[in-house]
Amino acid sequence: MSKIVILGAGISGHVAATHLRRKLSKKHEVVVVSPNSNYQWVPSNIWVGIGRMKSEKIIFPLAPLYKKKGIKYKQAKAISFFPEGDKNEDKPYVLAEYVMGENAGQQEKITYDYLINATGPKLNFAATEGLIPGKNKAYSVCTYTHADHAWQGLEKVIQDMKAGKKAKILIGTGHAKSTCQGAAFEYILNVEKELVRHNVRDMAEITWISNEYSLGDFGMDGVLMSYGDMIMKSSDLVEMIFEDRDIKWILGAAVNKIEDGIAHYENLEGEQKSENYDFAMLIPAFSGHGFKAYDKNKNDITEKLFKGFMIVDADYTPKPYEQWTVQDWPETYQNPSYKNIFVPGIAFAPPHTISKPRKSKNGTDIFPAPPRTGMPSGITAKLVAENIIDAIKSGKESLNHKGSMGNMGAACIASAGFGFWKGSGISITTYPIVPDFVKYPDSHGRHLGKTFGAVGLAGHWLKLMLHYAFIYKAKMKPFWWLIPE
Amino acid sequence: MKRISPRMRFRMNNPFLQFFKFIILSVKIMVIVAGGHGGTRESKS
Ligand SMILES: Cc1cc2nc3c(=O)[nH]c(=O)nc-3n(C[C@H](O)[C@H](O)[C@H](O)COP(=O)(O)OP(=O)(O)OC[C@H]3O[C@@H](n4cnc5c(N)ncnc54)[C@H](O)[C@@H]3O)c2cc1C
Repeated sequence: MSKIVILGAGISGHVAATHLRRKLSKKHEVVVVSPNSNYQWVPSNIWVGIGRMKSEKIIFPLAPLYKKKGIKYKQAKAISFFPEGDKNEDKPYVLAEYVMGENAGQQEKITYDYLINATGPKLNFAATEGLIPGKNKAYSVCTYTHADHAWQGLEKVIQDMKAGKKAKILIGTGHAKSTCQGAAFEYILNVEKELVRHNVRDMAEITWISNEYSLGDFGMDGVLMSYGDMIMKSSDLVEMIFEDRDIKWILGAAVNKIEDGIAHYENLEGEQKSENYDFAMLIPAFSGHGFKAYDKNKNDITEKLFKGFMIVDADYTPKPYEQWTVQDWPETYQNPSYKNIFVPGIAFAPPHTISKPRKSKNGTDIFPAPPRTGMPSGITAKLVAENIIDAIKSGKESLNHKGSMGNMGAACIASAGFGFWKGSGISITTYPIVPDFVKYPDSHGRHLGKTFGAVGLAGHWLKLMLHYAFIYKAKMKPFWWLIPE
Repeated sequence: MKRISPRMRFRMNNPFLQFFKFIILSVKIMVIVAGGHGGTRESKS
């Protein structure tokens, strides 16, 4: 009998748990440890943040589903890792603290045979002074509660505009090294569309602020793609859309301080500037959770397991951008020191960024951290689960399932406005996610047949279809496993 | 500044044309997803 413990019930943790449960007999234990009692389909937070979807539509409680399917659930948060156990406990374990119910505050040693760390990122608002969701007129859409608050803030600004008050709206990244530009991009286009719908578009000045060097970088070093009969840069596509919708932009911006209605930032020229706003949505820095790790004798071995995020089979040798290769990226998401620990989704430490690193004239690093969107999070979780299943069934280590982001595609369907008939979406597929400049030297590291863009109503339908399909899948309804990650 | 021509805008918003686009995009995305994924290191020179 094996016991598999999964930390986190986001996209990657939940995908891993569901596949493990489906393929392993009930004599094996699947345990999920996560502090949030709900599953949330994060991509639809964008629509919650513009008031077009209720947050209840994108969440469901995990406990009843897990009970029905035979997955054990502990509403707790992991605190520290003991991959060798300790003097009193032979088995490796995670120390976790319950966050709800009668056990709240109590700690438990949760032992495991296999551990999947799928804790995603810590939303590190504290890295930017004054950036607190719902304070200083600045909001976030990273969780459903944040998105609910964002809509309250936006609704008020819309009412003010209806009453004749002009407004400045600022959307983008709230830190020199934020990632998830795609989510902010979707949000700015949705907000713009909503202002049109409310007949107040002419009352608003909308500005994109980002740590990207050029528009459409998205933390992926930009994309060269097929667009109809043309070959187009993502920067050109985004510029076309922004200009068409009268959205201004500020690039290479390291937002470092937020005051009530003022965003202070440094740019690549090293200048300290500020931008006033009446409503802002700024994506914070993502960081590791600050977990600690100890060996059997309680010596601190945190550095053996973590580089901010958790260490996996990547090549972390520091090297300049020109020498980066796809081979640097992990394939199996296995921790090299403790081979029964796996890390899918955002929780693994990337070897480096994907976008070219840049410094301001003052030496401040200003460039996007690498994104790990929903699709790679799901794919890496499934392959980790499959390797564990194979290992349990065969009785020996098995790493046949591999999925490097340098040999994996991603579909990014960015909503550009809500509405069944009047909506819009920007569909961009990228293959591979991490550009392979050796294989595809003439197309900025990407396969042009598999890297394409399209703008239009169909994109909105696609995004809506994905919303329903992935919630259906997450609820483990009949034949859920036929829906790919 | 208008950057999308009326003809292009019509094509982007027309539900009839976009229905076909939806089918094509769904298939293309499925091909990329079903196309699978794998390692990169075997091919390291
Ligand atoms: C607004 C927004 C829109 C997005 N839109 C898209 C999109 O359209 N398409 C796309 O592909 N991607 C999108 N993404 C990215 C996508 O949501 C992420 O890639 C994905 O959620 C990552 O999954 P994950 O499981 O690694 O992390 P998460 O989803 O963050 O899950 C982490 C889990 O770990 C739990 N956890 C945290 N701390 C602990 C702890 N100490 N112990 C135990 N559990 C813990 C959390 O409660 C959570 O359940 C979007 C992201 C945002 C913010």
